[in-house]
Amino acid sequence: MKSLGTMFPDVTGSLFRKPATENYPEVRKAAPSQLRGLLHLKLASCTGCGLCSMDCPANAIQINMLDRKTRSFTFDYHVDRCTFCGQCLESCRQGALSMSSDEWELAALDKTPFLMRIGDTRNAGTTVAGKPENVSEEEKHS
Amino acid sequence: METTVTSKSFTVPIGPQHPALKEPGHFQFTVDGEVVTQAYVRLGYAHRGIEKAAESRNWVQDLYLLERVCGICSHIHAFAYCLAVEQLAHVEAPPRAEAIRVLVAELERIHSHFLWMGVSAHEAGFDTLFMYSWRDREKVMDILEGLTGNRVNYSANLLGGVKFDIDATQAKAIREGLDFLEERAGHYLQVLSKDAMFLQRTRGIGVMTRTEAEVLGAVGPTARASFVPRDMRLTAPYSAYRQFPVQMVLDDRGDLEARFEVRVHELFESIRLIREILNNLPSGELSVRLPRRIPAGEAMVRLEAPRGEVFYYIKSNGTDKPERLKVRTPTICNLNSVIRLAVGHQLADVPMILAGIDPCFSCNDRMVTLTDAHNEGERLMTWPQLRQHGIDFYKQVGK
Amino acid sequence: MNTISTLVSMLIFPGGLFLVLAGLFYQWFDRKLLAVLQNRIGPRWFQPLADTIKLLAKEEVIPNGVNPYLFIGLPLVALAGALTAALYVPVAGVAPSYGFSGDLVVVLYLLSLLTLCMGLAGANSLDRFSLVGATRTLTQLFSYEAPFLLALLGPALVAGSWQVGKITTYAVNHWLILTQPIGFIVALIGLMGKLEMPPFDAPEAHTEIVAGALTEYSGRGLAIFDLGRAVELIVGLTLVSSFYLGGVASLPWFIAKTLALLFVMIGLQSLLTRLRIDQTIGLWWRYGTLLVLVQWFFMAFA
Repeated sequence: MKSLGTMFPDVTGSLFRKPATENYPEVRKAAPSQLRGLLHLKLASCTGCGLCSMDCPANAIQINMLDRKTRSFTFDYHVDRCTFCGQCLESCRQGALSMSSDEWELAALDKTPFLMRIGDTRNAGTTVAGKPENVSEEEKHS
Repeated sequence: METTVTSKSFTVPIGPQHPALKEPGHFQFTVDGEVVTQAYVRLGYAHRGIEKAAESRNWVQDLYLLERVCGICSHIHAFAYCLAVEQLAHVEAPPRAEAIRVLVAELERIHSHFLWMGVSAHEAGFDTLFMYSWRDREKVMDILEGLTGNRVNYSANLLGGVKFDIDATQAKAIREGLDFLEERAGHYLQVLSKDAMFLQRTRGIGVMTRTEAEVLGAVGPTARASFVPRDMRLTAPYSAYRQFPVQMVLDDRGDLEARFEVRVHELFESIRLIREILNNLPSGELSVRLPRRIPAGEAMVRLEAPRGEVFYYIKSNGTDKPERLKVRTPTICNLNSVIRLAVGHQLADVPMILAGIDPCFSCNDRMVTLTDAHNEGERLMTWPQLRQHGIDFYKQVGK
Repeated sequence: MNTISTLVSMLIFPGGLFLVLAGLFYQWFDRKLLAVLQNRIGPRWFQPLADTIKLLAKEEVIPNGVNPYLFIGLPLVALAGALTAALYVPVAGVAPSYGFSGDLVVVLYLLSLLTLCMGLAGANSLDRFSLVGATRTLTQLFSYEAPFLLALLGPALVAGSWQVGKITTYAVNHWLILTQPIGFIVALIGLMGKLEMPPFDAPEAHTEIVAGALTEYSGRGLAIFDLGRAVELIVGLTLVSSFYLGGVASLPWFIAKTLALLFVMIGLQSLLTRLRIDQTIGLWWRYGTLLVLVQWFFMAFA
């Protein structure tokens, strides 16, 4: 048996309902805890083995070994290349990597904030939060 | 530049840029008034060289590369790849991981069918159904985001298992979401099967008999709507479908309305299956470690994507990179049916027939055929030939 | 003084500028209400105006193989036709001061002139989509014209005149929607066909033929066609609401009645799927004409 206007209850209901659109950025819903956002490194646990860098599908992690004997290295993270897949977390045998669940608004107006040095053993004890001036020009192209 | 009328027959090109297509693909329909007399398809616009790119990345990186073959069936591609690699390594993922993989696959099927429902309604001109089904699709994406961490491209799989677990709060959120989706799916079933004006666009259009479907090689819901009992989850059960079987949804009418109804009934079936998995989730670990070098050999798997049968062939030569990877997706099987069915229908029915197979062009671009514009012939080039052609060409340019 | 007041009434209110701005406002109302019915936020109030300004600022591309005079001239003729039709219709509740006996037919002809211009514009281009769109536009024009005209003649018959001004004066005291309900339904659906609103938007079905007859138009030509359609919206709504909904005696009544009619039309738009062009013709020639004749039968003998 056919009828006409089967979406009538939805349509009339919507006249009295708020729109389903989320009014971002005025309304900002909390992201679920599972969300894979920006990468963070716990430098104390990192041995510089490089498994995360080998397994990254987007070559977003670069570990620059400065001195193999003293285990001195810098950990560079390219935010613009990262696909936020989370494989590096799984590949790391020390559990040194984690992904934030509320840092996902990562747009920027130019490319400089995208190369983050999130670990530098020369400044051990503090995770360097990734400022563009931390990576000098010659280091970038080394 | 002169513009002349070249022939009496009138060819309407649909694509590569057309509002009816969500992805690029080229169709040419020769029309006589409004009736289509000939149809021709040309693909290749979304070819990205994934099969070749997979050969220069290691096994772990390829998992994420293959997820991006398609946006909507991304989990199925990763799932198939994992099954094939685990077959090569003679390793089986733990039962809890398999169950979670199947659960995410079924959630993806729900996602895909809601999306497709909206898109087909839009092709028919029924924008209200489009908006409402996409609003409800947000619910599935929220469930998936809470479960896996992303709304599309879930990256749930690992070689050897899954990345995350389902705890009690997530299970509760999934169940609530499923209740909402089941109620909405029931409402849409009413709309699709009873709305008189929508039925005018779907009933009796694009009829494909069972023999035609078998000859043309249709797969997935398109085939099942013509009573071809082909469902990889039942004909070749894999992973947790052995413990949690589905019921095949068949329809014998073979027209567009049948394809719509088959997919909505599949929605109900997926919801039932997810509930069953949640109630009986096997305990255990989430993944097993796979070696970095996968032993040499060949593996083939066939899975049921939301659109039909997806086929993977992987060849390993014992190193940490695959030697050859072959992906055959369902849309390329179903496109034949579109070409055959479009003839004889009106031009206005063609977007509906195309939407009825749930096309995914980025899935199906595997091979490019070169058409020589001067000789009007076609050539197939192997990879070494293509590479040599490029070298010779640029040597000429440099001279 | 007389010439100044004539100029003001023709160019500013209730003609010219008022028509265009009101048309754009009604287009906004259309889109906003449709969005609310679909449970989403629609465009802001100035969106159609912003679209027009943007289009006027863009380059107009004249494709190869068209007749450039026709290409540039057809939108202007279309807009002129729609604006002239407004002279005889009580827009904004102001009684038409240029009416003459028989101007109902003239108004309908001028509105059809707009559709005809769109069809010709499509036929002018060499693009496949435009040709299919032009065919559909003209086919649809031929199919709904007869029932629509007959449905508008119902009120003319009981008012005893073919002049729009006199019919609306008669309608103020007689709510014809109550005495001629079938005629009202046919006029409503006919108006939807005339304005190419879904479900009768096969001529511009953008999922099948990109933009129909206007595919090749861009910039100024497209802006003028859109303005023509905005004015056609106002004129059509005024015509049907003043005939059947008890005349439009003053500006508040005008706004209330036309918006109410638009509300009903948008409700229908959101509930119905687009019809194929052959289904549209079948619907009109079978049911449309039949219903109108039934209505006339009742009027004659009841």
